Amino acid sequence: MFEKNTSERVRSEQTATGAARSERAAVSIRHLSKSFDGVEVLRDVDLEVREGDVVTILGSSGSGKSTLLRCINWLEQPDRGSIHIGGQRIGVNDAGRPMPVRELARVRARTGMVFQSFNLWPHLNVLHNVTEAPIHVLGKSKAEAEAHARELLEKVGMSAKADAYPGTLSGGQKQRVAIARALAMQPEVMLFDEPTSALDPELVGEVLAVIKDLSAEGYTMIVVTHEMAFSRAVSDKVVFLDKGLIIEQADPETFFTNPSTERVRKFLEREES
Amino acid sequence: MNASAWHMLMEGAWTTVWISGVSIVIGVTAGLMLALIRLARIPVVDQILVLYISLARATPLVTLALFIFLSAPTFGINLDRNVAGILALTLNTTAFNAEIWRSAFRNFSRDQREAAMAAGMTPWVTFRRIMLPQMMITSLPGLINEMSFLIKGSPAIAVIGIVDLTRVTNRISAVTYEPLPPILVACALYMAAIGCLVWLQRIAERRANRLAV
Repeated sequence: MFEKNTSERVRSEQTATGAARSERAAVSIRHLSKSFDGVEVLRDVDLEVREGDVVTILGSSGSGKSTLLRCINWLEQPDRGSIHIGGQRIGVNDAGRPMPVRELARVRARTGMVFQSFNLWPHLNVLHNVTEAPIHVLGKSKAEAEAHARELLEKVGMSAKADAYPGTLSGGQKQRVAIARALAMQPEVMLFDEPTSALDPELVGEVLAVIKDLSAEGYTMIVVTHEMAFSRAVSDKVVFLDKGLIIEQADPETFFTNPSTERVRKFLEREES
Repeated sequence: MNASAWHMLMEGAWTTVWISGVSIVIGVTAGLMLALIRLARIPVVDQILVLYISLARATPLVTLALFIFLSAPTFGINLDRNVAGILALTLNTTAFNAEIWRSAFRNFSRDQREAAMAAGMTPWVTFRRIMLPQMMITSLPGLINEMSFLIKGSPAIAVIGIVDLTRVTNRISAVTYEPLPPILVACALYMAAIGCLVWLQRIAERRANRLAV
């Protein structure tokens, strides 16, 4: 599994160098539906994310954006439909039965997730937050994991805080550590669940800058966000969810200047004001 | 008090310490295991555990110790009195510890568990690496509280003939006709034991501050 990850990483790095983007699907979602207590949160959602693409998901609160993202790594279990990550179906095995936990964990490890409220592990310092899963899930040696973690902390500008505990960090710093933690698993796709929504306004910029850098490096990313300017700047594709339906899917230029639905036009007007 | 009285007191203290110590170690671990089993909500097993926990919590230690020691021969078991004493203390403390661990499980951050799952950790790795280290620190005040209850309740095992720290003071004063000195020393020794626990708790609290996110 490890070798496969590496080869896929090489491929996505090739796309970063400006070559034509891969046509391979990093994430492929088909006919996804999900209800909570009889309320349909996702309705027959189809979404294809190609390797190296950055897709941002927009929509008002309650539109199902976070649920869609959380279905991708099976933190929520959809009622119907399928999700493939790098060609591997998640949550359901070949026999059509729910995946055993170990297998599910292995597929989950191919994705990295960044949460709205950071969700760092408070008993571990910054460095160990980043090395924990590589050591105990991928089976990396401590030395190897720490060397990689220090590189990643450098990348997100947090290397000076490697020995600090999460409780002593600001929200923006926590989120940058959380990003390094997710990257440490060398995931094929990064999932961001409103990564700046819990931050003080003056801290939003530092986190968005890190995500922008990652998009320039060719990472495949799916970002649920309320930051319109950011979405416009980094996306290859913008997806708009309304009441659990994808009602618009377009490149950022078209989406922000010439949306095809009245609903999106209203949404954009409200965001601007 | 003469040298032999001191010697007897120390022996009694040692009996209290080792019997309580063994019961604490078994009780804390068994409590954790019961809490884990209860999480799985296995039908019949769960009801049996609930019954055990409510019975054990409702029974006085003296009664439990007597019951175990006296009922064992009925089942054809020849129970050593020390073993019976440990069994009584353990059965009692395990029930309380199971509840302490269970509430630590219930209150454990869902966010942190999701972060562990998203990172590809199996439930076992999540438990061992993420949950247990934090649960040990957050449960420690409750567990230590229960440990000190156990030590203070341990004179109950004298009822089945174990000569513990409290019982031995009786024996000494039966010879010396001076009940006060041995009982005073015994009090001091109990306080020292509890003091050690409180000191442990303080160390844990210092580490717990780090967990405040």
